[in-house]
Amino acid sequence: MLRTRDLSYWLFLAPVLIALSLVVVVPLGLGVYYSFTDWNGIEVGSFVGFENYINVFQDEEFMAALWFTVKFSIVSIILINFFGLSLALIVTSKIKSSKLLRTIFFMPNLIGGLILGFIWQFIFMKVFDGIGTHFGIENLQGWLSTTETGFWGLVILMSWQMAGYIMVIYIAYLESVPTELIEAAEIDGASPFQRLVYIIFPLVAPAFTVSMFLTLSNTFKLYDQNLSLTGGGPYKSTQMVSMEIFKTAFVESELSYAQAKAVIFFLIVAVISLTQVYINKKREVEM
Amino acid sequence: MTKKKLFSGIFAVVLLLSVVLGGCSGSTDSKDKGSKGDVTIDVFQFKVEFKKQFEEVAKKYEKDNPGVKINITTVGGGEDYGAALRSKFASGKEPAIYNVGGPQDVKDWNKKLADLSDTKAADAAFEGTLDGVTKDGKVLGLPFNQEGYGLLFNKDIFKKAGINPEKITTLAALEEAVKTLDGKKKDLGLKAVFALPGKETWVTGLHLSNAFLAPEFDNNALNSFAAKKVEFKYGEGFKKVLDLQNKYSVQPTVSLDYAKQVEELFSLQKVAIIEQGNWTYGSIAGIDEEFANNGVGLLPIPVEGYKEDSIPVGIPMYWAVNSNKDDKTVEESKKFLDWLYTSDEGKRTVLEDFKFIPAYEGYDASKISDPISKEIYKYVENKKTIGWAFMGYPTGWGQEELGVQIQKYLSGDADWDQVVENTQKSWEKSRSK
Repeated sequence: MLRTRDLSYWLFLAPVLIALSLVVVVPLGLGVYYSFTDWNGIEVGSFVGFENYINVFQDEEFMAALWFTVKFSIVSIILINFFGLSLALIVTSKIKSSKLLRTIFFMPNLIGGLILGFIWQFIFMKVFDGIGTHFGIENLQGWLSTTETGFWGLVILMSWQMAGYIMVIYIAYLESVPTELIEAAEIDGASPFQRLVYIIFPLVAPAFTVSMFLTLSNTFKLYDQNLSLTGGGPYKSTQMVSMEIFKTAFVESELSYAQAKAVIFFLIVAVISLTQVYINKKREVEM
Repeated sequence: MTKKKLFSGIFAVVLLLSVVLGGCSGSTDSKDKGSKGDVTIDVFQFKVEFKKQFEEVAKKYEKDNPGVKINITTVGGGEDYGAALRSKFASGKEPAIYNVGGPQDVKDWNKKLADLSDTKAADAAFEGTLDGVTKDGKVLGLPFNQEGYGLLFNKDIFKKAGINPEKITTLAALEEAVKTLDGKKKDLGLKAVFALPGKETWVTGLHLSNAFLAPEFDNNALNSFAAKKVEFKYGEGFKKVLDLQNKYSVQPTVSLDYAKQVEELFSLQKVAIIEQGNWTYGSIAGIDEEFANNGVGLLPIPVEGYKEDSIPVGIPMYWAVNSNKDDKTVEESKKFLDWLYTSDEGKRTVLEDFKFIPAYEGYDASKISDPISKEIYKYVENKKTIGWAFMGYPTGWGQEELGVQIQKYLSGDADWDQVVENTQKSWEKSRSK
């Protein structure tokens, strides 16, 4: 623990503090200030108090986007963690090419979200359509042109991208499970399934929390994949919160209103993150 | 111990200073340039397509006018430009010349717009082109160019199907032609007759809608900007043309985008008709130059009960001069714009290098370079045009409300009455703010 807080302590800290306050604290404060005005991006007219905030809660579009985001997040979290854990179990088992497989599974995560969106757009709209037309499968045609296919398109894209990342976290925990415990269980006659459920799962439980909140905050703040894959279409039904806020600000030019939405969004994300920290800390104590 | 502390203290100070000074280094060298009475004109513009040509012209102007320096920054199209311009102003580096779109922009930027009534270009501008940027008798913007759109068609396919495009000046004739084409689809190698890009809400919500809404606003963006309501007076005709396009289009239309419409389907001659404008020339020529130069014609958008033989033509963007700048810079900026649009050298550049359809008098129209623009200019000369009232729609209404509602209609999740009702409501709502 560093206790001596003399001049050099603050001087060393200063670059970071200055940078942090310039790019995080000041804009945040300004943003909150703007959300109480009728700012149009050019000049501040007058204070409007909580008017923007009241309007947000009557804004059907914002609520629809929020609801869509929540639905998307829940489904994605379950699927990403399921696939992530499955992949981790595969590559930690005794198969030969596990090192290579790890790299391959992790790779989608290295591609930028925008590009991934366009790649998958191609797959959904051309490849799916091609296969669908060829074999006469109607379910594969016209993807991304309905709300449902747009939703599942986004879920598939996110699962594919993030499963590898989450896999790495699970691998770390899985490899720290003591082999003698598993051997003991084996000798006691536990089946592979029982070993998984009663020995391995409890020991990798902390990984669940970490992964869950990582995926949660990632899917909740999603913007680029959303933009490039569906663009919110059809008729804004696959539009998520970040995109809704961006559109309010830069398409409809209601900057102060968008700012109010952003503040509310910030609060939601902050609550989620703080809950994560709280639960993690609690678990650490229990361990 | 104290030595160590002293050392670390010095080290920290050096570290801090290097950060602080590092931040300043960028701005120190630009200060000496403004001497000798030089004027620097910072231009912040949105048209990416002519960036290179524009920069060359500016260089030429600098050479001919010693003492004037022109800096051009280009930030591409639509929403990005608006946001970028705002941040440019917020950063304190205000440009001298920038772009405004229509009445809403004029209202937003009102305090930073210089009066341009005394420029030669303002006198030479075509009648009506300055309506959208005139306020209290002051002209606050100068038109870039004219642009127009209609139903682009494939001349070859029409010929093969035995259709005379010149006769298509009514909705009935258009329907007839579409049915003929649809019947011969297989022989002509077509996937469908139309490609309706429902994903591009600007095509449906701004451009198509404009043909049917502009008449009720007297073809003037100022009227639509002032209107508290939208009636959809020609809504029936709107529905008919939309339905026609949708019925005979490549499906699904909701997710069809610009690239697929123009490049994949129209340029490769897989569809016969698309609703687009002169800006597509570059895209089509990029794929099939021969086709772009000789194979594309333009049909009117028939507005039932109004004009069935006209196309919408308007000014996409205006030049504005920042009134916050000192008098000398404002003067020089005006001079530059005047030179660009009224001098012989400037005119030549506008027509041949920028490939614009001129919005000013005194141009040799036969020099317009691409065939689609030529067709549009013919409509202008014959006065068969409809104004661009969509520039006065409430902000975001065309794309985010009407375009989106049309997507809903195309998906079958809303009927036409709901589209009209919902968009009327949102129009009134944004006007009552």
